[in-house]
Amino acid sequence: MNIIEIKDLSFSYQDEIQALSNVNLSVKKGEWISILGHNGSGKSTLSKLIIGLLKADSGKILVDGVILNEESVHDIRRKIGIVFQNPDNQFVGVTVEDDIAFGMENLCFQQSEIIEKIKEYSKKVDMSDYLKKEPHALSGGQKQRVAIAGILAMKTDIIIFDEATSMLDPKGRASIMEYIKEIKKAGVTVITITHDMKEAVLSDRIVILKEGRVIACGETNDILNDKETLNSSNLELLLPLKLQYLLDEANISNDKVKDILWQLSLNK
Amino acid sequence: MAIKFEQVNFSYPSFDGTNFSALKDINLEINEFGEFITLIGETGSGKSTLVQHMNALVRPTTGSVTIYGIKIENDTKKKGKVKLNPLRQRVGLVFQFPEYQLFEETVLKDIIFGPKNFGVSNEDAIKRAKEVIKHVGLDEEYLKRSPFNLSGGEKKRVSIAGILAMEPDILVLDEPTSGLDPKGRDDLLKLFTDIHRKLNKTVIIITHDMNTVYKYASRVLVMNDGSLVYDGKPTELFSTNNIENWNLDIPDIISITRQLEERLNIKFNSQPKTIEDLFILVKEVI
Ligand SMILES: Nc1ncnc2c1ncn2[C@@H]1O[C@H](COP(=O)(O)OP(=O)(O)OP(=O)(O)O)[C@@H](O)[C@H]1O
Ligand SMILES: Nc1ncnc2c1ncn2[C@@H]1O[C@H](COP(=O)(O)OP(=O)(O)OP(=O)(O)O)[C@@H](O)[C@H]1O
Ligand SMILES: [Mg+2]
Ligand SMILES: [Mg+2]
Repeated sequence: MNIIEIKDLSFSYQDEIQALSNVNLSVKKGEWISILGHNGSGKSTLSKLIIGLLKADSGKILVDGVILNEESVHDIRRKIGIVFQNPDNQFVGVTVEDDIAFGMENLCFQQSEIIEKIKEYSKKVDMSDYLKKEPHALSGGQKQRVAIAGILAMKTDIIIFDEATSMLDPKGRASIMEYIKEIKKAGVTVITITHDMKEAVLSDRIVILKEGRVIACGETNDILNDKETLNSSNLELLLPLKLQYLLDEANISNDKVKDILWQLSLNK
Repeated sequence: MAIKFEQVNFSYPSFDGTNFSALKDINLEINEFGEFITLIGETGSGKSTLVQHMNALVRPTTGSVTIYGIKIENDTKKKGKVKLNPLRQRVGLVFQFPEYQLFEETVLKDIIFGPKNFGVSNEDAIKRAKEVIKHVGLDEEYLKRSPFNLSGGEKKRVSIAGILAMEPDILVLDEPTSGLDPKGRDDLLKLFTDIHRKLNKTVIIITHDMNTVYKYASRVLVMNDGSLVYDGKPTELFSTNNIENWNLDIPDIISITRQLEERLNIKFNSQPKTIEDLFILVKEVI
């Protein structure tokens, strides 16, 4: 079943900057998809349309079978959590604790449950020692961790991560990826927006946007190898695959090496 | 010597009265010419705090930072006896969050603000803006746009353009490549390398990307829990065992090389620096 269906969606800012043109996309329940594309290709715009923060010029979005419109937007938002590209845009509270609680409060969690979840999720992102701090007095990576904790704690059916790990250290990044694998196993539908191919290979499918259009959409394995598309959308070939191309160009073939390089590119 | 840290400690005051010690006894010297430095370290280790001392945006709690001969200490008055404006022009700092740097109604006004503030004529500042906007990979049309109505990566590019237009002697960039698409990242790193090589300027970049460190840096500084724990060459850093303790990682080219060696049960006679080098090594063994 498709939990998100996007049909012929177009959007422009102030009627002049065409950010998305005729986007079609469906996401299956429990699937993890990555959205990639050059700066300004429309990734964040698409995510804001899905949660109803922006209103499409034409086309439609269905979430869990329900058309997104003014009447349904409230209910639909309860199903989707989004970690914004800039964590500052997510902070409303005076303390880190308030901020993690905010999303849960909107979903009317019991107070006792909120307290428990603040503990659980701040620990998951390694921010337990900072609960009483002001969110604005955190380092860049710490802000991202708090933003992630607040959204995870809401336990929504769908979670969108808009470059949510862009400022994390390598270990922090890896632990968030592990966590995404876990929630996916538990049935959550995940959309990650990223520029990092090493993150994208972990997902089931990859969608590539270019100048507001979907120019590629497919199984991760297929997209990884699509050198032309990657090149033309400011993306990169993973290093092991680059080596494979060099070997191919030199007409050197070795099945064992080829297999190892493929495994390495899949992070295995 | 352009910048010298002597026994610098820095604490952030907190509303509950306690202080948080973000920098601990930092001693560091930055040369005026020819260094390409990357500054790395785990989340919250003090990188952004450290670089904010380099143009006197914050003052040390104890110790001193000397910038082009001007000594900044805790009691150095913000304005008054020491003029900070010239320092700010010589040491250009790009913030981690572009939003902290963008405030004018158009991108053009944002970019010309710095140069004009340092005495460049309006006409020349506009000329510079038209140049630098191209250097960061955006076309001139963007100059008319509002800096607030841009995508994340576009904002980042504009904030970098604003500092480039000031033509500082030392360029300090706090995570300039986070949020950039891979081509933008490579193009900008190449631009910084050109500035470093052709104009012989010192460039300091904060990053979490070990590939950037390995490929570009002549010197790498590692922060850990407020202390400067490493100051040396990248190649040496990545052969130490401290990588894990400091929450760092090894560059992709090293990890692929090691994996190939392990899985093919061979040993290459050198550590390749680029994928092309690795290709040559692999070609020889298969
Ligand atoms: N508030 C806004 N007003 C006007 N134009 C905007 C606004 N936000 C974004 N745009 C424009 O819409 C296009 C798509 O922007 P969007 O933020 O969706 O890109 P993105 O793919 O998320 O890019 P990035 O990788 O840089 O985050 C860009 O050309 C951008 O300049
Ligand atoms: N304005 C502030 N008030 C109080 N504490 C702060 C403030 N800014 C930063 N800190 C604290 O100081 C420490 C160092 O922060 P800093 O921003 O220098 O880290 P960083 O190395 O740049 O991290 P990141 O990679 O996440 O950007 C962190 O523990 C942070 O919580
Ligand atoms: Mg975006
Ligand atoms: Mg920082």
